[in-house]
Amino acid sequence: MANINLRKFLSENKIVALLIVVGLIWALFGYLTYNADTGVSGFLTARNFSNLLRQMAITGILAAAMVFVIVAGEIDLSVGSLLGLLGGIAAILDAVYGWPLAGTISFVLLAGAALGLMNGWLTAYLGIPSFIVTLGGQLAFRGAVLGLTGGITIAPVSPSLRYIGQGYLPGWLGNGCAVLLFLVLLVMAFRTRRKRLQHNLRVPTPVMEAVKLVVVGLFILGFVLVLNSYQGIPVPVLMLLFVLGIFTIIAKGTVFGRYIYAVGSNSEATRLSGVNVNLVKMVVFGLMGLMAALAGITTTARLAAGTPSAGFGGELDAIASCFIGGTSMRGGVGSVIGALVGALIMASLDNGMSMLGVDTFWQQIIKGIILVIAVYLDIISSGVKRL
Amino acid sequence: MSEFLLEMKNISKSFSGVKALDGIHLQVRRGECVGLCGENGAGKSTLMKVLSAVYPYGTWEGEILWEGHELKASSIRETEKAGIAIIHQELMMVPHLSVAENIFLGSEISNHGFLDYDAMNARAQELLAKLNVHDINPALPVLNYSGGKQQLIEIAKALNKDAKLLILDEPTSALTATEIRTLLDLIKSLKAEGLACVYISHKLEEVAEISDTVTVIRDGTHIATRPIGELTTASIVTMMVGREMKNLYPKEEHAIGEVVLEAHNVSCWDVTNPDRKVVDDVSFKIRKGEILGIAGLVGAGRTELVSTLFGAYPGSHRGSVHLDGREITIRSPRDAVKAGICMVPEDRKRSGILPIIGVGHNMTISVLNRFAAFGLIDEHEELAQIQAEILRLKIKTADPMLPIASLSGGNQQKAVLSKMMLPDPRILILDEPTRGVDVGAKYEIYKLIFALAKAGVAVLMVSSELTEVLGISDRVLVIGEGRLRGDFVNDNLTQEHVLAAALGQSTQMA
Repeated sequence: MANINLRKFLSENKIVALLIVVGLIWALFGYLTYNADTGVSGFLTARNFSNLLRQMAITGILAAAMVFVIVAGEIDLSVGSLLGLLGGIAAILDAVYGWPLAGTISFVLLAGAALGLMNGWLTAYLGIPSFIVTLGGQLAFRGAVLGLTGGITIAPVSPSLRYIGQGYLPGWLGNGCAVLLFLVLLVMAFRTRRKRLQHNLRVPTPVMEAVKLVVVGLFILGFVLVLNSYQGIPVPVLMLLFVLGIFTIIAKGTVFGRYIYAVGSNSEATRLSGVNVNLVKMVVFGLMGLMAALAGITTTARLAAGTPSAGFGGELDAIASCFIGGTSMRGGVGSVIGALVGALIMASLDNGMSMLGVDTFWQQIIKGIILVIAVYLDIISSGVKRL
Repeated sequence: MSEFLLEMKNISKSFSGVKALDGIHLQVRRGECVGLCGENGAGKSTLMKVLSAVYPYGTWEGEILWEGHELKASSIRETEKAGIAIIHQELMMVPHLSVAENIFLGSEISNHGFLDYDAMNARAQELLAKLNVHDINPALPVLNYSGGKQQLIEIAKALNKDAKLLILDEPTSALTATEIRTLLDLIKSLKAEGLACVYISHKLEEVAEISDTVTVIRDGTHIATRPIGELTTASIVTMMVGREMKNLYPKEEHAIGEVVLEAHNVSCWDVTNPDRKVVDDVSFKIRKGEILGIAGLVGAGRTELVSTLFGAYPGSHRGSVHLDGREITIRSPRDAVKAGICMVPEDRKRSGILPIIGVGHNMTISVLNRFAAFGLIDEHEELAQIQAEILRLKIKTADPMLPIASLSGGNQQKAVLSKMMLPDPRILILDEPTRGVDVGAKYEIYKLIFALAKAGVAVLMVSSELTEVLGISDRVLVIGEGRLRGDFVNDNLTQEHVLAAALGQSTQMA
């Protein structure tokens, strides 16, 4: 009986299940990297935590938008190449033409959104399957970046651009952000509760609610304290959290977000309800392009250079993150936070195995196996029976 | 050997606490045809799923005796092996495979792993000849053949598996009159050869013609099993419904106003076969507060006609639509909803519900902008509306956020109705609004339709149930083979009149 209840709880709170997996992976790497002489394990240090989060930021930014694409019942295989192309453009504008940072960023973001919208237009309005459109895009965008850069690395980029990828937030600002975030969550929790009560809907008991808030609060506090004990919150991580917030609000609170899930659940019924399904799909691809641009700028900034191979395979990491995070292949189901935890799991595996000196080929084999196992666990935990 | 080929005793089956079947009995002798009658949702399909082990042994209570021995099948494969073949309402054919490949799907004739096409085609020909069918080429893809022919191919497939019991679930719902004739004659001759069958149909004339005994179930309980000689179609209906038929339609007086919508010369062409006209030059008017029924046989072009008005017909079409005397252009359902025309589509599962989304969110999807400022939804306001609707339509759900797919068909349909009523349409098109809905929910849906008419909404209802069309319409349009075959005021109008018009036998009546 307890077994069934636990299963039910985990399938209703997938995110908790995923966090438990993260905990297990960290515990394992913590144990394996333990150094008896110094008494610390290399994996579980503030410095490594900071690196880990920075590593996952780029995949996470892509995964956040990829969730919408997959929820809408489509796929985007072009984002890795698109990231490379846009990162390359950012490097060229910055290093070769010396554009001001604001100009470079705006141009690259606009270009990303435009290319994404183009993918969406071809898919939604011309009816070419997104798999084909974006497979074509993968080749074409990679070709374009090779042509633009002439196949060589573009360097050095300006210090202000570098800050986006390598910088840290000062400690006081980090603390301020954390306090602000907690207050916003607090107010939201109270408002939701009041509204649900007004409509005689079930609400968790006040104790449960308080426990939940305290846990979240401690989580935020721990997060910021650990990062501040190294050098502060890395700028890409802050961006990722910002993206997480915006995309979660889009998913849960906006008309557009509701339409995305509706289209993925049954696009024909959605169309017959008077929703412009094609426009919804096109905009979803537009957002994907925009996030590819953000990820491209961050990649260039982090490497302090534009390289023609940047973002290679990035689409697969993003897609894998979504699936690990509980997004359904059939569309209609998926959460942004889930995908980000998925990205965190992938990044933890990368980081931990590199630290242990595992060969790259083993790393890929293990990641592949973990992806398949994770999705299988998701299938059995959500109780989907298949005859 | 037992007297019966099949005995189902005291079968009960529950779905999450709700009893779908409660102590049902069914007996079939060798060479006997048993008619199984009951309203939609009475439990006929559930019973057949228990029998064919779609619901394996252990997931239901009771006992099944097959040739005198208890049958404890855990998969369809096992029941098929025993000799039970089921032919579903929606045919289970792979359209791009050939007739022979379909017949032998799962039991291919092979030679060291390679398919022996010659043997399969020859055997298929033999089976079809046994069914007296000579105009089907076993080597051609199934999609070349009409629904009636496909039905026969399904039967050939069952015979190939040495079926002793054939279950036919609404086999004639998509067939033409000639195809129905062929099928019924075929069943009779198979019966003479000793094959038993269970015949499930709403068409009581067919049941009466070929059945030896009839079993009636209602709301999951066994009502009666009697030889056909003791029954009339009327007495079967009474047992199925369990109350007088006249109570079924809560007719309410409503005033009919001026013309709101006029359709002129609407024609549509088939999507897959663009040379075939499915709607041929149909014109009609509908007035404020009027309930206009559209009757006709399945495939007559009714759904194509109404989906064209709603801007949802995918094929090419022509014609003009006037709203309040002014011509309007409707290119998409979005345009239609904006213009005040809403439609509840025919196929609820495919085009009505958003299955994994909550009931409440299903209802508000068309009017979300009403609750939103700058694209952000005010959930508070939305929930208030949802709860008001749930109360008004008596939708039974534990929580408005429960996925709609977990509700019963009737409650799903009410939610879809609510979705299309919330935009406050002036014209509401209902395509088969009570299909797959239980009697109680039907009654409530009819009440809603009358309430809408009273409020001045023009209701255009397509229905294949003639009693329903006659029970609630003010006026009836009859469509046959894509043409308007009749436009009758519903005053002393009989089913015979409508059917005759649909078949093109007479068009003279006021």
